[in-house]
Amino acid sequence: MPSGLDKLQHIVVLMMENRSFDHMLGSLKAVNPAIDGVDANTFTNPDAKGNVVKPQPKAEFQAQLQPDPDHHFPAVDLQIFGGGTGANRQANMQGFVKSYFNQQRDAKHSQTIMYYFPQDKLPVLTTLALEFAVFNRWFASIPGPTICNRAFAHYGTSFGRVDLNPIYPPEAIKSIYTRLIHANPKRTAKVYYYDTTSSTMEVANLLQNQPELFGTYSQFLSDCEKGDLPDYSFIEPNYSDHQGDSGEEIANDQHPDHNVQAGEVFIASIYQAIKNNPELWESTALLITYDEHGGIFDHVPPPGCTKDIFTADGNATGTGTPFQFDRLGVRVPTVLVSPWIPKGTVVDRVFDHASIPATITRFFLGDYSPRSPRETSADIFLEPKGAASDPARNLLSLDVMRTDCPDFDA
Amino acid sequence: MPLIRVPKPPKSAYDPGRPASSLLKSQAEHLREAESKLPLRYRSKVYVKSIKTEEEAARYIRDVTQAIHEAHEDAERARRTPKRKQVLEIAAAADERSKPKRARRKPASKRPKSRKSKRKKK
Repeated sequence: MPSGLDKLQHIVVLMMENRSFDHMLGSLKAVNPAIDGVDANTFTNPDAKGNVVKPQPKAEFQAQLQPDPDHHFPAVDLQIFGGGTGANRQANMQGFVKSYFNQQRDAKHSQTIMYYFPQDKLPVLTTLALEFAVFNRWFASIPGPTICNRAFAHYGTSFGRVDLNPIYPPEAIKSIYTRLIHANPKRTAKVYYYDTTSSTMEVANLLQNQPELFGTYSQFLSDCEKGDLPDYSFIEPNYSDHQGDSGEEIANDQHPDHNVQAGEVFIASIYQAIKNNPELWESTALLITYDEHGGIFDHVPPPGCTKDIFTADGNATGTGTPFQFDRLGVRVPTVLVSPWIPKGTVVDRVFDHASIPATITRFFLGDYSPRSPRETSADIFLEPKGAASDPARNLLSLDVMRTDCPDFDA
Repeated sequence: MPLIRVPKPPKSAYDPGRPASSLLKSQAEHLREAESKLPLRYRSKVYVKSIKTEEEAARYIRDVTQAIHEAHEDAERARRTPKRKQVLEIAAAADERSKPKRARRKPASKRPKSRKSKRKKK
């Protein structure tokens, strides 16, 4: 068994907000052609008048994507299918500019939805993507907004929701945290929200019933320093500009129109907190992902997937057509960090956020049921230890730990 | 590998008066649901629909999050305390019942002779 996987004890997932793969990492195709990023010669979108709009490296940290690009179910349906209807329509990713135009009827401004960041503007995310493993095919779980997509990361399903309304999970399907802390032998798990003022975005029901599962970002830093990190940690960014205990706290979730640099600093701080503790660094894998694309362009059509046991009816989807959770959402930036991953790894297998509980469950608990069909059919990004491990799929494949990993001054 | 510099956002990026996004408003709604299940004394008097800015949303979210933690801590404390009290009360009551009996019971030498033994002597 490769020593990297053998040493793995902690898995940390950081989920940011509302940015697409091409928008954040699309520039990296020029550096490493294996990364499926932006090619302005082959992918364009029509604007409302039919003019061709090319992707451009003009994304700004803030004050550009106003209003917040629509990413509710009907808008994402337009973005993916370009306005096509009927059973045989094809996902062509031709509706991003049209969708943004619908919000303000401003043809020039609607082109900003096709902007992406040049590599040097995002030194943290692009460096981690080039240094460790970047996923070419990690999609949001649903072509819809935040809450239902985040639910997939915790439960492996959104229980039929495609919107922002509260989720009431039935007793049968447990959150990944409940599965772990009730396991025998018992496992440890924590959701670290930024602070009590930012709180948790998606699992108010868990906070309500199991507040002991929650900690803060400062506790995460302290747990890293002391070597007290649980088996599984899920980190939430700061969702709002607010007055905190130590002064002004800038939202660092990268949700438009929050400052993208603040998110870069936040990502770097999580990485450094793990890396600065040598024992933790060698025994931890950090997954950085985004809940959904936030209405921003991406060129890869989301594939179909196994149906869930739930269906959203035509009223719930807002399109008049029911949704059986049989198609993934738009592609999001996702990077896996560990000193046991070969530099420049590019993963082409298909994943979505249901892969998170699927991987954590498999790694720490082995077989477990009941789980949603979406979760049981989702691919895993970390192989289980022991005989069940498939060396060909193991991303922590180095026998000797790397010593050339980057450091950030965050 | 050289240390990679991470530029910080400018001070001007901070804008708590920014209109709350639909996401923040929905977070507040989720927490309102959770708040409605708390005992009355923990609930805020904020009307969630009146939230307009990030700062207002943040303040409400903080108050409810703290209230949830407080309510659980209080419930946990209460859950433990009555049990201990109950055990002590039972023990105390048992003690109370047994003490008088023991007090009434004098050593055999000092016990008054029973009628039966008196009768025998006669």
